[in-house]
Amino acid sequence: MSDTAAPSTGDTAAPSTGDTAAPSSGDTAAPSTGDRLLGDAPPGSVLATLRRTAHAAPQLVAGIRTTFLLALLGSAGLLAAPLVVQRLLDVHLLSDVPLDLAAVLRLGALGLVAGLAGAGANQRAVQRMMTATAEAIASLRVQALDRLHALPVLEVQAERRGALVARVTTDLDVVTQFVGWGGVGFAVGAVRVTAALAAVGVVEWRLLVVLLPPLAVYALALGASQRLLQRAHDRVRGHVATSLGAVGEAVSGLPTIRAYGAEHRTRERVGDALEEQFRAEYRVGVLGAVLFSSAEVFAAVLTAVAVAGGVLIAGGTALSAGEVVAVLFLVTLLLDPVQTMVETIHEAQSAGAGLRRVLHLLQREPEDRVGDPLPLPAGALGVRIDRVTFAYPGGEPVLVDVRLDVEPGSHVAIVGTTGSGKTTLAKVVVRLLRARAGRVELGGVALERVATDELRHRVAFVPQEGFLFDGTVLENLRVAAPALTVEGAHEAAVRLGVDGWLLGLADGLATDVGERGGRLSAGERQLVALLRAALRSPDLLVLDEATSAVDPALEVALRTAIERLGTGRTVVTIAHRLSTAEAADHVVVMARGRVVEQGTHTALVAAGGAYAHLHADWESGTATPTGQLARGGDA
Amino acid sequence: MQPTSGPSPAADLLPPVGPLRVAPDELGPEDRLGPSELLREGATHVWGLVRGRPLGFATAVVGSVTFVAAVLATSRVVGGLTDTLLVPVLEQGEAPGPRLRDAVVALLAVGVWRALGITLRRSAAGWTQYGVLADLRRRLVSHQLDLPLSWYVRQRVGDLLAVNDAHARQATFVLAPLPFATGAVVLALGTVGLTTFIDPVLGLAVAAALAVVVVVEMVVAWSAFRAFVVEQRRRSVVARTAHESIDGAQTVRALGARERETARFARDVGSLRDAEVVVHRRFAWMRAAMDALPSSLSIPVVVLGAVRVDAGVISPGDLVTVAYLLALLSMPLALLGFLLWDTAHSLTAWRRVRTVLDVEQVVEHGDDEHVPAGPAAVDVRTVTFGYGDPSTPVLHDLDLRLDGGGTIAVVGPTASGKTSLLTLLARLWDPDGGAVRLDGRDLRGLDRAALPAQVALVGQEAFLFDDSIRGNVALGLDVDDAAVWDALALAGVDDVVRELAGGLDAVVGERGATLSGGQRQRLALARALVRRPRLLLLDDATSAVDPSVEARILAGLRESALPATVVLVASRPASIALCDEVVLLEQGRVVAQGAHEELLRTEPRYAHLLQAYERDREERAGTTGGPT
Repeated sequence: MSDTAAPSTGDTAAPSTGDTAAPSSGDTAAPSTGDRLLGDAPPGSVLATLRRTAHAAPQLVAGIRTTFLLALLGSAGLLAAPLVVQRLLDVHLLSDVPLDLAAVLRLGALGLVAGLAGAGANQRAVQRMMTATAEAIASLRVQALDRLHALPVLEVQAERRGALVARVTTDLDVVTQFVGWGGVGFAVGAVRVTAALAAVGVVEWRLLVVLLPPLAVYALALGASQRLLQRAHDRVRGHVATSLGAVGEAVSGLPTIRAYGAEHRTRERVGDALEEQFRAEYRVGVLGAVLFSSAEVFAAVLTAVAVAGGVLIAGGTALSAGEVVAVLFLVTLLLDPVQTMVETIHEAQSAGAGLRRVLHLLQREPEDRVGDPLPLPAGALGVRIDRVTFAYPGGEPVLVDVRLDVEPGSHVAIVGTTGSGKTTLAKVVVRLLRARAGRVELGGVALERVATDELRHRVAFVPQEGFLFDGTVLENLRVAAPALTVEGAHEAAVRLGVDGWLLGLADGLATDVGERGGRLSAGERQLVALLRAALRSPDLLVLDEATSAVDPALEVALRTAIERLGTGRTVVTIAHRLSTAEAADHVVVMARGRVVEQGTHTALVAAGGAYAHLHADWESGTATPTGQLARGGDA
Repeated sequence: MQPTSGPSPAADLLPPVGPLRVAPDELGPEDRLGPSELLREGATHVWGLVRGRPLGFATAVVGSVTFVAAVLATSRVVGGLTDTLLVPVLEQGEAPGPRLRDAVVALLAVGVWRALGITLRRSAAGWTQYGVLADLRRRLVSHQLDLPLSWYVRQRVGDLLAVNDAHARQATFVLAPLPFATGAVVLALGTVGLTTFIDPVLGLAVAAALAVVVVVEMVVAWSAFRAFVVEQRRRSVVARTAHESIDGAQTVRALGARERETARFARDVGSLRDAEVVVHRRFAWMRAAMDALPSSLSIPVVVLGAVRVDAGVISPGDLVTVAYLLALLSMPLALLGFLLWDTAHSLTAWRRVRTVLDVEQVVEHGDDEHVPAGPAAVDVRTVTFGYGDPSTPVLHDLDLRLDGGGTIAVVGPTASGKTSLLTLLARLWDPDGGAVRLDGRDLRGLDRAALPAQVALVGQEAFLFDDSIRGNVALGLDVDDAAVWDALALAGVDDVVRELAGGLDAVVGERGATLSGGQRQRLALARALVRRPRLLLLDDATSAVDPSVEARILAGLRESALPATVVLVASRPASIALCDEVVLLEQGRVVAQGAHEELLRTEPRYAHLLQAYERDREERAGTTGGPT
């Protein structure tokens, strides 16, 4: 009997990530090419994949021999019951010998015990196999996430969040599914097929010879139809992704949809996408049904071959009718596991593909492993940038031949219009991006020779959009300073001059910031990010428009605080508002990826170049018209 | 290929496998179901699904019964050819003759019959399952679109996405084995009936054996339910942590928090694994029971049969029939086990789906369809508002009156309630106390379509859909290209669009990934403008746009004679100065309202806020004599 298909696997379709439409962060994703982080893993055989998995997560194969032995015992136990019933009928009831009740009871008890013992062994085997898998998968998940955090940020950000999350979630869930339903079925099936074939051979070896070729053809045909189905499933995957995207947009974009009254349009889009997916899935379902049914017809052919073969071979041999009937039963015993095993191959392939994707990721060398680190000098850290060039993959150069010296302990402002390369330069300085050409030195040490731990503790970077984790304000500060106490947090807030804001929060430090800090305003999120940096007391502080979302009065106050905190440290500020530049020791002006001017604020204004231009634009923007008038009058 | 190294040290952060420790908040009282409650709820759920597409389901059951009948027929054919072909030819040495051909034809015929049954069942079952899933997902999206934002913001987007996809799928999964299992039940009942007809005592024994199998399977499925619930919750925790961690990759890197992140993830993964191990243990029992119980229990039945044969109550042939039927039953009984297991599994997902479907706080709309002409007048009266938590209000007794027309700047320190005020004006939320009126009409009384026809809000973060420029701007509104271009021009982004390959037809990609932040913001502004709203709300909507471009856009808005009241949150003094009126907010209250110059003169708090840069500049000049 055949097409049971373990309910939870049969038509699983594509593993659904459930969160493919991940919110993408502010930075525009850089175009990605070439050696993609999540690029298709090279194909490999299932066995090779398993070997590599076992290497990365040895739990997978711990005690595997015992498990296999238990599975064998269990499968043998499963065969006991039907055999006993057969024997009870044959020997004790259909023969002419009078019924020996004691013998019947003995045989029955034996069968029952064997069957239940087999069940026990099976339970142990399945449990051991699945627990080992669960342990191995847990280990792989942790290793994969850890590795993601050690790979170049640029590559991580270039990928769709959903696909990355899938690496540590659904890609591996498929494996559990396979082991639970397919893998066990495969093991049991293999034992059954071997036993049944052996039994046929014992009855009549020529029947075995006659049956083997059609059986092989049968298995091959099943395999071919599986591949056909697989391709059909691949085609469905496009529809699945489309409807997932449509549903994802409807959910993530709900506030926008509501604000513009676009509910009707959204319903239509989602409805259409789901209808398309339904049709595609249904079509594949029918194809699967037809293929599966042809297999059933083939099973009938095989039975007919056994009957005809038995009848035609029998001439002149001692083959009895009973033996041919026995062979017929054995043939039905064969078909079921063969079908299950062939279906399992498909699952094995998707499980293997999932594993390979994760192993591919684990193979990548961590970027932050510094071979032979050099120590940084104590105190404020200077920066020296020499002929640095940088381009995002497949894009035009964003930094071109940048040369810049930042004296230890100085405060430098970098200004320029949108797209001039300021943020990229900041990220290169803190090693979030690596220059393609040129040299960056920190305190006289080549940046790539600085140990990651030391770098992260001596250098603090505050991005424009500081990322907050779902949790309290205090927990978010502890990301930067794990041992931070409530008092410590308050002191830092006082130093930064934002203690008033902190006290004004509903629950102070215990205020829940929500997913991605969504319960705070953009300006408040920046305050938390600044506090994190302040807690680090870094020797080099790099601020990338870190106060762009707070009100002018608070910005001025923050800047004063930062200047105070930055005494004796190096501070590099990417400035959106030029008020920062006015206060800096040194101003660097960037345009189209190059440093076009540098010097003090007064010198640059006097020079009447790009900076003077920017500054005039800024002044006319910040100065309140009445104020301007007043000054104009003075002049 | 590089050699795969052994496990990385990160693997050591994983806690060792331990017993399942369920935290008090992980399981509620509703997760502790008795077996009969589970059965009832499961049956209700399954029935609810079947009712969605009854015809498809019925067809699948017909296919399943057809298949079962074909299996029975196969056993008859095999039995028949034993008597008419195998015994005469092999035992009595007769020539096979046409009997062999007949036997082969009969075998192939029942094979085709089985195939037809399978085709019918699987096709119809697929149609039912996929159809019910599509219906459910449609219903979910539709329902969520009706729910208020106050509900939405309390959800995690990742969790909602899971409900709309993975959970919905899992909730309907039980439809896959259902038709065949129904056929199996028919077969089981038929077996009991037939056996009872042969011998009531034997019939009772068969019924008892079947009952034992079903009860054992039910108990195992039930015992797995709680573990399912825990596993499901922990799985979402793992997904959530992974998502957050990857989202914040840059911050994790910049703060050197990799080990902390890995440890946090390892903790969540470890507790998921512990729950999985418990589910697996139950699953192993289920498989063992399904594989072994039916055939093992047929042994006592056959032994009892032997006793009955010995007593002369039934013939040996009768017992062969019963034994054969029991052998046939073992697979369908196993299937019933799958069904029960899947029902319990589906139910956990269904309950999660219902946490969304059962939310009843649908946004109530009035029936006021009237859309007056000209700019809207706004009247906010003693509004108190705390984002669903009235105990920590963000706005306190806020009063604001705008006569209509002109550009009004909302100004205030960080976290003074500017965004909250605009959110209420667009009725993305309703106030906890007080009322927001448009031309004297409470927003809550407006018809569902009347509100977006009059009010448009553009936020700081522009959400773009994976659609063309035209689709993103029109967003379901029936407008011609000229109107779209006008809106794009007014938003200062028409040049950008003209340069895109495809122009209005250019697709912006997931979340507008192909555009810069400033371009996204301006497209969102165009989306609002094309609707020609009577009240246009701009919440720092041009924050990523260069100052000179922003000034041009604002000037354009003023000159365009847009028949709208424009309310904007802005922080650049020059932009504020361009406005006709200024509203100063502090700690959730309007503390001043008036023309910019007037406020500068009369309101020290306003001057303090706005002239921060100038003051700073002057102080700097005064104390240090200018930077050197």
